[in-house]
Amino acid sequence: MKKILKTLLGVWNTKTVVAIAIGAALFGVLMNFGGIPIFTNTNLTTAMIIPVIVGSMFGPVPAFISCAVGNIIADLIGGWGFWFDWSVGNGVLGFIVGLLPLYGAKINEGIFKPIHAVIYAVTCVVGNAFAFGVITPLLTMAFYGGEESITFLQAIAGGIANTIILVVVGIPILFALARRNARSTNLKMEEEKE
Amino acid sequence: MSTPIVEFKDFGFKYKSQSAPTLHDINLTICKGEKVLILGPSGSGKSTLANCINGLNPFSYDGVITGSCKVAGMETKDASIFALSKVVGTVLQDSDAQFVGLSVGEDIAFALENQSMPRKEMLPKVEWAAGVVGMSDFLMHVPYELSGGQKQKVALAGVLHGDVDLLIFDEPLASLDPRMGMTAVELIDRMHKEQNKTVVIVEHRLEDVLYRSVDRIVLMNEGRIVYDGVPDELLASDLLTRYGIREPLYIKAMKYAGCELTPDQNLSDIEGMDLSPFEDKLKQQQLVQLEKYVPKVGEEILKVQNVSFAYGKDPVLKNISFSVRRGEKVAFVGKNGAGKSTMAKLICGIIRPREGQVLINGTDYMKYSIKEIGEKIGYVMQNPNQMLVKDIIRDELELAMLLRGKSRQEIDEAVKKTLKMCGLYPMRNWPVSAVSYGQKKRVTIASILVLQPEIIILDEPTAGQDYRHYTEIMEFLDELNREYGITIVFITHDMHLAIQYTDRAIVFSEGELVADDSVFRVLSNDQVITRANLKQTSLYTLAMRLGIEPEAYIEHFINYERMVRAHGQQASD
Amino acid sequence: MDNRLLINLIPGETFLHKLTGKTKVRTFLILMVYIIMSFDLRLIMPLSILSIMGLVSLKPQWKIIKFFFIIIGLMNVLNIVLFWLADPNIGTMWCGGTTTVLFRLTERLFLSAETLWYLCVRFIKMMTSFMVSLVFILAITPSELAAGLYSIKVPYKICTIFSIAFRYIPDIGRDFQNIKISLQTRGVELDPKKSSIGKRLKQNILILVPLITTSFDRVGNISNAMDLRGYGRGRTRTYYSEHEELKADKVFKALYIILILFCVYWIITQNIMAETLSMWYPFV
Ligand SMILES: Nc1ncnc2c1ncn2[C@@H]1O[C@H](COP(=O)(O)OP(=O)(O)OP(=O)(O)O)[C@@H](O)[C@H]1O
Ligand SMILES: Nc1ncnc2c1ncn2[C@@H]1O[C@H](COP(=O)(O)OP(=O)(O)OP(=O)(O)O)[C@@H](O)[C@H]1O
Ligand SMILES: [Mg+2]
Ligand SMILES: [Mg+2]
Repeated sequence: MKKILKTLLGVWNTKTVVAIAIGAALFGVLMNFGGIPIFTNTNLTTAMIIPVIVGSMFGPVPAFISCAVGNIIADLIGGWGFWFDWSVGNGVLGFIVGLLPLYGAKINEGIFKPIHAVIYAVTCVVGNAFAFGVITPLLTMAFYGGEESITFLQAIAGGIANTIILVVVGIPILFALARRNARSTNLKMEEEKE
Repeated sequence: MSTPIVEFKDFGFKYKSQSAPTLHDINLTICKGEKVLILGPSGSGKSTLANCINGLNPFSYDGVITGSCKVAGMETKDASIFALSKVVGTVLQDSDAQFVGLSVGEDIAFALENQSMPRKEMLPKVEWAAGVVGMSDFLMHVPYELSGGQKQKVALAGVLHGDVDLLIFDEPLASLDPRMGMTAVELIDRMHKEQNKTVVIVEHRLEDVLYRSVDRIVLMNEGRIVYDGVPDELLASDLLTRYGIREPLYIKAMKYAGCELTPDQNLSDIEGMDLSPFEDKLKQQQLVQLEKYVPKVGEEILKVQNVSFAYGKDPVLKNISFSVRRGEKVAFVGKNGAGKSTMAKLICGIIRPREGQVLINGTDYMKYSIKEIGEKIGYVMQNPNQMLVKDIIRDELELAMLLRGKSRQEIDEAVKKTLKMCGLYPMRNWPVSAVSYGQKKRVTIASILVLQPEIIILDEPTAGQDYRHYTEIMEFLDELNREYGITIVFITHDMHLAIQYTDRAIVFSEGELVADDSVFRVLSNDQVITRANLKQTSLYTLAMRLGIEPEAYIEHFINYERMVRAHGQQASD
Repeated sequence: MDNRLLINLIPGETFLHKLTGKTKVRTFLILMVYIIMSFDLRLIMPLSILSIMGLVSLKPQWKIIKFFFIIIGLMNVLNIVLFWLADPNIGTMWCGGTTTVLFRLTERLFLSAETLWYLCVRFIKMMTSFMVSLVFILAITPSELAAGLYSIKVPYKICTIFSIAFRYIPDIGRDFQNIKISLQTRGVELDPKKSSIGKRLKQNILILVPLITTSFDRVGNISNAMDLRGYGRGRTRTYYSEHEELKADKVFKALYIILILFCVYWIITQNIMAETLSMWYPFV
C-alpha cells in the first residue's frame, strides 16, 4: 500500500520539479502551436502526450501537476482566458494516463510492451470518459451554469479528440521513445557477413 | 604552506550504474588561494572529480565513495549538498541550461532566494556581483537577449556573492567565441586575485587558459592522477601528446623546430619567456623547404551575390557576396550573433534572400524547393539530438532516401557504403541511444552524406567535444574531401580548427562580410581580428617576438603540420 | 516564438504592471470567484467596464489583442447559438417562469425575450471572464506569478514549476524550429497546405520524438545547476522579483478584502440559500 502511494506521488526532488516544469512548458507550447481545432473549446492536440511521458518517468501525481499547470500556461501564453473547468479535467486525465509505472511501463528505462499498450489504451478511454464525461461538465455547470446537453456534448467532443490522439499518436510515440531509451544490453559489433 | 581547502586521501568513486570505479587512488590537496587546472582526455574523470568536491556526487548521481574527501574540513559523504554549496560555487559548462532565472537579476539572486534572504539585503549583493562581472546594465534582460559569453558572466556572478571560498569551473570556455573566451579567462583570474578565491578549472583548451597564469596543473587519465605539478614542467614533457591533449601552438612550433624544452624556461608564458636559446632553431626551421600546398579545386559550385536578409526589421545579413568552388574547404568565422548560422540557412534555402541571388551550379536557386536544394547541399546542425528522429542508426540513414522514393536496392547500396565510410557499419543495428556523443554526431553527418550532397555545411562541428573526438571527426571529413571531392563549409569559433582543416576563411561581423581570404592571412590581419572578435593565436605572438613576418610564419607552420599529418613526424628530419 | 508569447517576461511601466505579484494574483482570483458566482448583470457590467479600462491602461498591442477578441467572441457566439438550439426555452426558468415569444421559426425553434436576455447575459459574462484573464495575463510576469502564488501558501516547489516552465519555453521553440528545418532539408514535406490530416499526424510524431528527448535531456543539467545553488534547502524562500508593497497595493488590498466579504455574503444568500435558479430580469 505504502509502495503504491509512493509510486503515485513520485519522489519530489529538484529533478522532478524541473521535469514537471519542462513537461508543462512543452504542454503549453503544443497546446497553442501543435493542434488542429475541430470544435468549440476543442483541439486535436498532441499536447496530451506530455503527461503520459511525465507519468511514465515520475508517476501520476507529477503527471497531474504538469498537465494542470501546462494548461494554465497554455492559457497564459495563448491569451484564451482561463478555463479552470478544462484545466482540472485535463489534470485528472493526466493523472489517469500517468499511471503507467503502476503497471510496469517505464519509458525512460525502455520498457513498453504490447500488453502495456493495451492497458494504456484502456486507461485512456476510461480516463477520458471520467475526466470529460463527469469532471469537466460538472465544473462547467458549477462555474458558468448552462445547458446540460451542450456542456456535455462539448466535453464529449473534447474527450473523443483526446482519446484519438492519445491512442493513435500516443502509442507509436511511446514505442518510439521506449526504443530510443532502451539501453540495449547485448550490443555486438556486426562485421559484414558475405 | 597555507591551509588546505580540498583534501582527497586514497579517494575512489564508483557510479552506481557502472561496474568499475571511475576514480581510483586520488590523492590531491588544494590549498586556499590556489589556482588549479585539471586536464585530461574525455572520460578520464575530470568532471567526476569536480562533482565530488561540490557534492553532486553522490547526492545527485548515486555512487559509492571509498577513502576520504574533505572540503573546508567537512567530510563530503557526511555533509549535505546545501552545506557544501555555502563553501563551493560551481559554474557548469552549459551556460544556457544553468541560467534558471527569467532575468539576469533573478538568476544572480537565485542562491540568495533559496536562503530566504529578505529582498532588501539581496539587492545590493546582486548589484555588487553584477558589477564585478560587468553586467550591471543588463539586470533586466531576459536570457535569450544575451550572447553565450554574457550568460557565462551571469553564471559567474551567480556564485560570487555569499562567502564561497572555492570556485569550480567545468569547461567554462566551450561555447564562447575566441574574444569572449579571453574575457572569461581574465575574469576568472581577477576573481582569483581580487576576491582571493580558490579556483579549480576543468578545461580542454589549455592554450586559452594559459593566457593567464595558473599555479598548478593536474593531469588525469583513466580515473587516475598522472601528473600534479607546475605548468612549465608539463609543457616541457611529452605527457600532453601521450594523453591526447592539444598542446599550445607555440609549444608545438618549438618542438617541431627541435628546441630542447626544460621546465625552468618559463614555458607557460609566451610573452615573458626568454626566447634567445631557441631563436636560431626556430629561424632555421623557417628555412625548411616545404612543398607548397595547393588545394585541388574545381569550378564554381556556389555563388552568393549581394544577398541581404532580415528576420524582422533589423538586417541580419547585409549585401554579402562570395563564391565557393568544388572541393574547397571553407570556414565561416566571426563573433556570436554575426549571422553565420543565418547564412547557412540561407544557402540551404530554408530562408530566402530579401535581395540578391544565390546560384547553385550557375542556376538561381529560387526555382528549387528546400527538398531539391537538400539533395545538393547538406546541412548538419550543431546539436545531433535535434537531427536524429529514428531510433536505429540504419533507419536514420534510410529515412531521407525513403522519402525521396528511391528503390530498395539503391537505398541498400548507398546506406551500406556510407555506413562503411563513416565507420558505423558494425553498429548499424544499434539504437541511437547506445552510442557516444561523438558517434551520434557522425550518424548525423552520415545521414546527410548518404544523400550524396555536393556541399556539406557543418554548424560548429566540434563544440562541446574533446580533442580526440574532434580529431576523429575532422580527419574523417578531411578524408571525404580528399577522396570524394566533397565541398565542405565549417561554421566555427575555433581558430585552431580553422587553421588545421580549412583553406579559406570567410569572416562575418554584425551581418557584414569583413574578410574572405586564406586562414593565415586573416589571422594576421589585426583589423579583421578586432572587428570579428577573433583572437591572435600564440603563433602570431611567437612570430612577432622572433621578428618574422607572422603571415609567412603561420603559413609555414600550417604547411609543416599538414606534412606531419600526412607522412608522420619522421619526415621532418 | 519569443515574441509570440502574450505574457511579458519583464515588467511593464503602467500602473497595473507596477503592482506586486501578490496583489495581482489575489485580485485576479477573487475577481474570478466574483464572475463565476452570479448571472446578475448589475454585478457583471461594472466589472466588464473596469476590465476594459484596465486593458486600455495597459497599452497592449491592439493588433494581437484584436485577433483574440474576434476568436473568443466568435466562439462564445457559437456557444450561445448552440445553447439556444438545444433549448429555446432556456431563459424561462431563469427569469421567473414567463415566456414572451418574440418570433417563431418552427414549432420548436422560437426566440423569447427571456431567452434572449439570458443568452446576452451569458455572453457578457463569458467575455468579461475572458477580459479579466487577459488583463491579468498582460499585467503579470511569470516570476511575479510564482511569487504571488507563493504568497497564497502554494508550496514553492509548485511555484518554481511556473517560472522554470516560462524560462525554457523559448528554448523549446528554438529546438522545434531546428528539428523542423533539419527534417525539411532531408525531404519531409511539412507544409500544412500540402498534406492531409493523417499525414500531418504522422509528421507530428516525427517532430515530437526528438523534441521530447531534447527537452527532457536538459532536466539533469538544470536541476544540477539549481541544486548547486542551494535550491530546496529550506522550507521558505524569498523572491527577487517581488518588490515592497506600494501605496497602490495597499489600496487594492482594502478593495479585495471588501470584495471577499461581499462574495461570501452573496454566495451564501443567493447561491446556497436560493431555492430555484433565478437571475435579475428587469422586464418582468
Ligand atoms: N552519471 C553518470 N553515471 C554513470 N557513469 C558516469 C556518469 N557520469 C560519468 N560517468 C562515467 O565516468 C567516466 C568519467 O566521466 P567524466 O564526465 O568525469 O569525464 P571527463 O573527464 O569530465 O570527460 P569530458 O572531458 O568528456 O567531460 C566516463 O566513462 C563516464 O562514462
Ligand atoms: N529565427 C530568428 N528570428 C529572429 N532573429 C533571429 C533568428 N535567428 C537568429 N536571429 C538573429 O539574427 C542574428 C544572427 O544570428 P545567427 O544565429 O546567424 O548568428 P551566428 O553568427 O550563427 O552566431 P553564433 O556564433 O552565436 O552561433 C542574431 O542577432 C540573432 O539574434
Ligand atoms: Mg566533463
Ligand atoms: Mg550560430
